[in-house]
Amino acid sequence: MPLRSVLGKSIHDQWRAVLAWSAFAALLPGLYVALYPTLGTGSMMQMMQQFIDQMPEAFKAFFASTGLDMTSAEGFLNIELFGFVGPLLLLAVGIALGASATAAEEEAGTADLLLANPIRRSRVVVEKTAAMVLWTVVVAVAIWTGVALAALGFAVELRLDHVAGALVSLALLGIAYGGVALVVGALVARRMTAIAVATMLALVAYFVNTLAPLIPGMTGWRVLSPFYWYIGNDPLRHGLEPAHALALVAVAIGCVVAAAVIWERRDIRG
Amino acid sequence: MTNTVIRTDRLTKSYGKSRGIVELDLEVVAGEVFGYLGPNGAGKTTTIRTVLDFIRPTEGRAEVLGLDSHRDSLAIRRRVGYLPGELRLYNSLSAIELLSYFGNLRGHFDRADAERIGEALDLDLGREIKALSHGNRQKVGLVQALMGRPELVILDEPTQGLDPFIQLAFYHLLDEIRADGRTVFMSSHVLPEIERTCDRVAIVRDGRLLAVERVADLKARALRRLELRFGAPLPAGAFAGVGGVRDVVVADATVTCTVVGSVAALFHAAAAFDLVDVLSTEPSLEEIFLTYYGDPTDAVA
Repeated sequence: MPLRSVLGKSIHDQWRAVLAWSAFAALLPGLYVALYPTLGTGSMMQMMQQFIDQMPEAFKAFFASTGLDMTSAEGFLNIELFGFVGPLLLLAVGIALGASATAAEEEAGTADLLLANPIRRSRVVVEKTAAMVLWTVVVAVAIWTGVALAALGFAVELRLDHVAGALVSLALLGIAYGGVALVVGALVARRMTAIAVATMLALVAYFVNTLAPLIPGMTGWRVLSPFYWYIGNDPLRHGLEPAHALALVAVAIGCVVAAAVIWERRDIRG
Repeated sequence: MTNTVIRTDRLTKSYGKSRGIVELDLEVVAGEVFGYLGPNGAGKTTTIRTVLDFIRPTEGRAEVLGLDSHRDSLAIRRRVGYLPGELRLYNSLSAIELLSYFGNLRGHFDRADAERIGEALDLDLGREIKALSHGNRQKVGLVQALMGRPELVILDEPTQGLDPFIQLAFYHLLDEIRADGRTVFMSSHVLPEIERTCDRVAIVRDGRLLAVERVADLKARALRRLELRFGAPLPAGAFAGVGGVRDVVVADATVTCTVVGSVAALFHAAAAFDLVDVLSTEPSLEEIFLTYYGDPTDAVA
């Protein structure tokens, strides 16, 4: 990769790790889909569904952000992939890269050297964000590829356009939390702090989305959670809802702008 | 077109309780090699980082190449080469990759110039940075600061980690820059280095400017501690009254003394005896401060 820009340097440094992560991200959901025919059509799934139906609402909510339905491929994927593992795969990419954007330069002591070049600090923030967005999209595409190949290979009926829509939503969730990590990193110049804060906020938001609807008077609180905008509309069944996607885009843009402003104004750690 | 390359006006940077810099007035003119001398922790790095806009002054302001250090920082950085005091490089790159990366960020990578400087410093540009020794990393830092012929070069402790042979090569590179009419601002905590390389020197201590001197003047007043050994014991009053010599102690065949400025008179007197060996020690910075500028606590007051 030619080292012509901060983005180019980020790609140069990160592509190997992202490629490995993408392979893992493609394999895992692919396995779920491949497994579905052996599980989904048998009496096993019927029993699972009966079992699920009997669980208390709070317990069900804890495990899934959408209706629990193990009898369709979409329902199965919603639970297995989009409810938990998918967010984990994408949040890890977004948060890790967002947190290390400016904070890693400062922690490693390379920020002075980089900023001695005629490049605005805000531009560094934007280019590192661009790398984070790029890699998030790459991982989402890898997941889609894994799901699509498995669906075709094992004759599972899935609307792959809806899978794509749900993955766009998932990628945006990862990017939004990458933005959160970016802001914290720009503020405190510590990578681990940025990772910890963004992860905590993601956990809180996850539970706000799943549990708030069960608490009388708190149902409306769901809208405070990016996880609601990610999956509240059940994009795997209904396709991507543009307004919900835009809410996540807004969070991401707000974070990047905040990070750029903060990093422009602060003293660089020496 | 102003002749002033760096000007600071009551530049102050406070860090809570710890000392930064206090009301610093500096002026560096075009074409000179300007030394910035002070012990570790005197505020040298803080001054440089403020001038380059990495940190922002608490009070006062700085101008570089006639431009405001903060508002016009981008335009300034287009024309300045910089070596940080605590140099950290990207371990994921090779030396040549790092140099081309920075060259590209500056708009043009002058590979030939980078290779020329690397060669002068005896650096193999093809090597991975993570495999380089401290001294070789310092060379990479120097190459990136000097490549592309910047109008102003700001070097924070440039010779740390360099062996004497490479230091000499670096001094030759400074001579080249001087011959080009370009400007160098370099910090150091060793006087001989400043004496060897600079035209003028600012002396800083505890964040305050003690003096700005021409190096030639400083040399004329240079303080040296000498130990002369002779083949035979000397008479007690052997060096009494020799010009520029003080604190003479004659012990058997050894004479110790302090010399200000030229040693010619002392050596002339010594030639009358059987001189075997001479040991010269440079005074420490603390001693210089005490001798030239009085007690440091007075200087602050």
